[in-house]
Amino acid sequence: MLFRFFILLFAIVRSVFSDEPTAGEKLFSLHIKPLFAEKCMACHGDEPEKIKSDFDMRTRESMLRGGEIFEGEVLIPGQGEESYLYILSTRAEVDLEMPPKETDQLTDKETGWIRDWINNGAPWPSDEKIADIQEEYAEGEKVVTSKALSADWQNRRYETEKLWTYRPLKVEKVPEGKHPVDWFVNRRLKEFELDYAPDASANELYRRLSFGLTGLPPNPMEAKKFKKDFKKSNNALSVYALKLMTSPHYGEHFSRHWLDVARYADSGGFANDYSRPNAWRYRDYVVRAFNEDKPYNQFVMEQLAGDEMDSTKPENLIATAFLRMGPWEQTGMSVFKETRQLWLDDVTDSVGQAFLAHAMQCAKCHDHKFDPVPTRDYYSMMAVFSTTQFAERNASFLPSESKKNFDSFTGMIQSKIASYDRQNAELQEKMNRLKKEEKGSAKVGDNGLDPGDEASQSRIFKNLIRHKIELDRVQPLTHAVYTGKTIVRKNVQGRIDMPDTPWQEGYFDTDVIYSGGDVYSLGDAVEPGGLSAAESLGGMKVSPFPQGKGKRRLALARWVVDQKNPLTARVIVNRIWSWHFGRGIAGNPNNFGGTGELPTHPALLDYLADWFMKNGWSVKKLNHLILTSNTYRRSSRHPDSKSLNEKDPKGILYARFLPRRLVAEEIRDTMLQVSGELNHDLGGIPVRPDINPEVAFQPRQIMGGTASVYEPDPLPLQRNRRTIYAEKLRGLRDPFLEAFNQPGPDISCELRESSTVAPQALTLLNAEEVQDRALAFADRLLMEKSTESTTISRAFELALGRTPSKEEISACITRWKNATKTESEKSPVARTYPGKIKRTVMAEKTGEPYDFWEFIPAFKSYRPDLQRSETDARTRGLAHVCLVLFNSNEFVYID
Amino acid sequence: MKQQNFIAKLSRREALYGLGTGIGSLAFSSMLQAENIHSIGPHHPAKAKRCIFLMMEGGPSHIDTFDPKPELDKRHLQRFKRSGERESAMSSGQRYFVKSPFDFLKAGKCGADFSSEWHHLKNYADDMCFYRGGQVESVNHPTACYHINTGNRFGGDPAVGSWVNYGLGTLNDNLPGFVVLPRTSYPQGGANNWSNGFLPADYQGTPLRPEGSPILDLNLPTGMTRKDQRSNLDLLAKLNGRHFKERSKQDELNARMSSYELAYRMQMEVPGILDIDGESEKTREAYGVGDSKTDSFGRKCLLARRLVEKGVRFVQAYAGNWDSHDYISRAHGSLIRSVDKPIAALLGDLKERGLLDDTLVVWCGEFGRTPDNGVRGGGTSYGRDHNPKAMAMWFAGGGTKAGHTIGATDEIGAEAVECVHHIRDVHCTWLNLLGLDDNKLNFYHAGRYKQLSQFGGKVINELIA
Repeated sequence: MLFRFFILLFAIVRSVFSDEPTAGEKLFSLHIKPLFAEKCMACHGDEPEKIKSDFDMRTRESMLRGGEIFEGEVLIPGQGEESYLYILSTRAEVDLEMPPKETDQLTDKETGWIRDWINNGAPWPSDEKIADIQEEYAEGEKVVTSKALSADWQNRRYETEKLWTYRPLKVEKVPEGKHPVDWFVNRRLKEFELDYAPDASANELYRRLSFGLTGLPPNPMEAKKFKKDFKKSNNALSVYALKLMTSPHYGEHFSRHWLDVARYADSGGFANDYSRPNAWRYRDYVVRAFNEDKPYNQFVMEQLAGDEMDSTKPENLIATAFLRMGPWEQTGMSVFKETRQLWLDDVTDSVGQAFLAHAMQCAKCHDHKFDPVPTRDYYSMMAVFSTTQFAERNASFLPSESKKNFDSFTGMIQSKIASYDRQNAELQEKMNRLKKEEKGSAKVGDNGLDPGDEASQSRIFKNLIRHKIELDRVQPLTHAVYTGKTIVRKNVQGRIDMPDTPWQEGYFDTDVIYSGGDVYSLGDAVEPGGLSAAESLGGMKVSPFPQGKGKRRLALARWVVDQKNPLTARVIVNRIWSWHFGRGIAGNPNNFGGTGELPTHPALLDYLADWFMKNGWSVKKLNHLILTSNTYRRSSRHPDSKSLNEKDPKGILYARFLPRRLVAEEIRDTMLQVSGELNHDLGGIPVRPDINPEVAFQPRQIMGGTASVYEPDPLPLQRNRRTIYAEKLRGLRDPFLEAFNQPGPDISCELRESSTVAPQALTLLNAEEVQDRALAFADRLLMEKSTESTTISRAFELALGRTPSKEEISACITRWKNATKTESEKSPVARTYPGKIKRTVMAEKTGEPYDFWEFIPAFKSYRPDLQRSETDARTRGLAHVCLVLFNSNEFVYID
Repeated sequence: MKQQNFIAKLSRREALYGLGTGIGSLAFSSMLQAENIHSIGPHHPAKAKRCIFLMMEGGPSHIDTFDPKPELDKRHLQRFKRSGERESAMSSGQRYFVKSPFDFLKAGKCGADFSSEWHHLKNYADDMCFYRGGQVESVNHPTACYHINTGNRFGGDPAVGSWVNYGLGTLNDNLPGFVVLPRTSYPQGGANNWSNGFLPADYQGTPLRPEGSPILDLNLPTGMTRKDQRSNLDLLAKLNGRHFKERSKQDELNARMSSYELAYRMQMEVPGILDIDGESEKTREAYGVGDSKTDSFGRKCLLARRLVEKGVRFVQAYAGNWDSHDYISRAHGSLIRSVDKPIAALLGDLKERGLLDDTLVVWCGEFGRTPDNGVRGGGTSYGRDHNPKAMAMWFAGGGTKAGHTIGATDEIGAEAVECVHHIRDVHCTWLNLLGLDDNKLNFYHAGRYKQLSQFGGKVINELIA
């Protein structure tokens, strides 16, 4: 009996004194070990052969031993304050701050853990015990993911609030009769005891609506009608929103938003910046999708896997250009395996950002530092694309696609080719005549030839390739993909034909984790798949993706648009919200992870996402819902700016409407619209507007020489189209658009930026294109033959959407009169357009400059816009006033 | 649209080159403030206050400039074959070694190596610190240029000059802090080479174009007089004033108005700054201005000195194209001559004015060249392909170890073998000399804090005096 008592006692003692973890053990298991793993082990243990300063943090013993710089004093059990592990972590020792990166620095809380752990004797329980302690005591939330590279990561816990994006939508009921947007927004305002601003004026509202939906200024007649209707009926905004959405300009404007995300460009970038002659069909596909209100889930599916859905539909093939939108080239200087890997990385990341708001690149080399995205998920998603191959596929033109200007474009390129051919023949003849056998064992250039001629030959050769690629623009081909084996291509110059049997030639890319992101370092095998955290936390029911020759992308596409996928609807709804309000409900539309801004109105976001899916994933319907809210109507001026600044310094409560500057494209389009020059044609091959002539003629280097000059389209009607149709070359950006923050097409742009820099003022004051618009605007106004003050009123109406005050009219008339006087003393001459220009570049083979002539066929038939020499002093005088209007704050800012 | 934070008191420069403080960062400004982990330098006492980066675009050959390889004389024209999955079309196939067509000499007390084409620069051997250990990753011009300029092989990241200005701010409110002096023909990869990337627009490189209008649209349009423009601006001020009255809380409107006045002044002031005619005949001659062989780069070097003197923090001047796959003796010969005198004059001038001590001069290309060449068109020629494993680079001033040659390449110059460092370490060293710590100089973008070295690197202490 006594014996049994002892056994019992022993058991109790064991449970109390041995199993019950000490404070130090708890600290270590819950905080120190994960902290070491996250912040220290990369240099002090993960790679045993590369341990920095010989300080190994894998065991207590090795830590007690210390390293190169500090020995036993690194970790003195019981003496936290004296231990260098603690001291360095507080960054008290200059040049030995640990971790070295400022962004990795530990918080006071974290350094406190280190100190307390040491003070508690620096205990180091067994792995088993650590796991037990973590299981029982850890705070935060574990997430089931595929499988991490390390056990520590697998058992990591996350702050609950940062996992919002993976959870199923939580849809609150909105009381009957309440507008859901206002219900959620006003509830939050009430919490902050902040009143909202009154409605904007009818004028302001219609301008806001018109730019917001079409990217163009209001039609003055429509604006007048709206003003009347708005006074009469509360329903006016709804009616006019619907009306504007039936305009084809709606699709043009909304496509610009999406093309920013997709990184649309008409060329491939890098050394050759070869044309992507068929990319424009994707641009028009996006315009059509918005105009037809294609359900967003279908829009996603087509872009990811249109070919795998039904490759007989041209539309489906055109859509897959999304997958190839990033910059890419393969030249003789690069290793195919590596450039193919660059694309695989690019497509994985951009699909992640565009559809799922996940910057996948963060998980390429290691499990994601903040989000539940293990590296395995990165490679699983990449494996979806490992059988995806490039091809320019046959796709007959749809009736809805514009074939305008095909002939004139082809003609222009052919005359360019012909001029090069002619030059080349002359050159060849000359070279044949002069060429001498070189002396000595190696060529040094004593071949009797002019090195400039040799350089010209290579330049002409390269430009011929470039222009011949452009000829494909009018062919029924599309920038697309197919599913098959990978074929090694050492040098890609233009069209890639679709192989007859995609599974015959080539090899299967290995679906593995590349350790450290290195394509030559093969790790664990993976299977195609999506984001495992979205599956587990979102409660998705997922069947495995096909492998081998299966339709992997189709499986991913279905996964993305699965009604239970917690990411997709939230992501697009947030984008659409940001297109209307200038900021997302979640502040980073491309990044919903833990490092992105948390949603300011999560319930609203969830409500809208759910509503969106229930309403057939219709973008137009969602727009309409948003635009008919009172939140959208608010004035940009708040009557109580003091409490506004106090309670909402960041402007995230929607107490007022945030004013915005027009984006680059809107500024150009609006000038054209106002001047009466805008050609409203829809779609078609890229147009070449006038750009700054100095930039157009500036030599730009490409591999093998200098690219041909930029040649604008010959006719005003061809050039003066909406900016969305302007050819977008990665290697030659339009400086006007760049100045106004048009993003470069190399990285996905989640939201436009708006900076104010002096070069913008220089551009709007001095650029030839702007001068031309002002002159045409003046000419248009004078055609209407009215009094001076009516002319000025009309100018304000067209440019600013309002009538001017008396003072404004008189100030403008005074300026007009004075300018007319000075203009009458000038006698402008017509601009000339050379049929050929002399250009100077450096010859690679001599390191010396050489000159050559380049023919510019476009200028043979070029018809300039209205020129100063064609107008009288009165028109030119008025053009000064028009220029001022284009430069005014009111022109570029909308309330 | 992301709106900028408004800076209550605008300095001229902020207004001149941008009020776009919130660009890209607004979304995270709250987080940055909360955690206070975003710091701007200097992070430690700087050895250099400013930097002139002489970018030898195209990839100059180390073997024919500063790194003699007598072993190649022995192997000259010996043929061999190279193949494998990791070789590009350029590097595989039939190849042969190529000796340098130039003799080499020892210069200065330190006995630094110069090829015989350098006639002027060798006089500054004891002021220069040669580095032979640098390596890059890419063999393509645009990606390698991006790598040297931005730390990332893909366009879109901020250039070194942008980072430096972001870290140190400006020395002159009237001028941009990062000025680029490109060749008439922009390098492969274009203006992305001096982009501000994800940093605010204030930090973008401002190219001063060598021909035509130095800054685009700086000149008045045809038919417009200064007086016309003034009258237009006066009317503009009137219209804007009325508009602003009802929107006095909308600070960016006010900022935009001042940007117009500054643009107006820029039009008058910038041409004077660029006008080198005011320099003495002797100075211009020293830089090689007026001599067709050296004029182009001579002007850039002289301008670089004028700009740093006026407080421009970072000047990058382009010379090239050094991509000599053939005829290296002619091509590299004339290229060396085109930069030799101008650079020597620049170093001398900086020294004389007491500026060299705290001006860091960096000279390099985007990669080096191979000791061998590929058989092209069935023939052999004196030329070299691209080599990421070995390159030529030197520094002067700014606290670098003058009169030393650090690191070494193997006996044929194929690969760096001593004091070998990835270019990211060169970047870290570069920033370090300017008082900046790469690990502390960062900016939140696309889900993480980004830095010039991408993921961190180390300072090459051997290069620092």
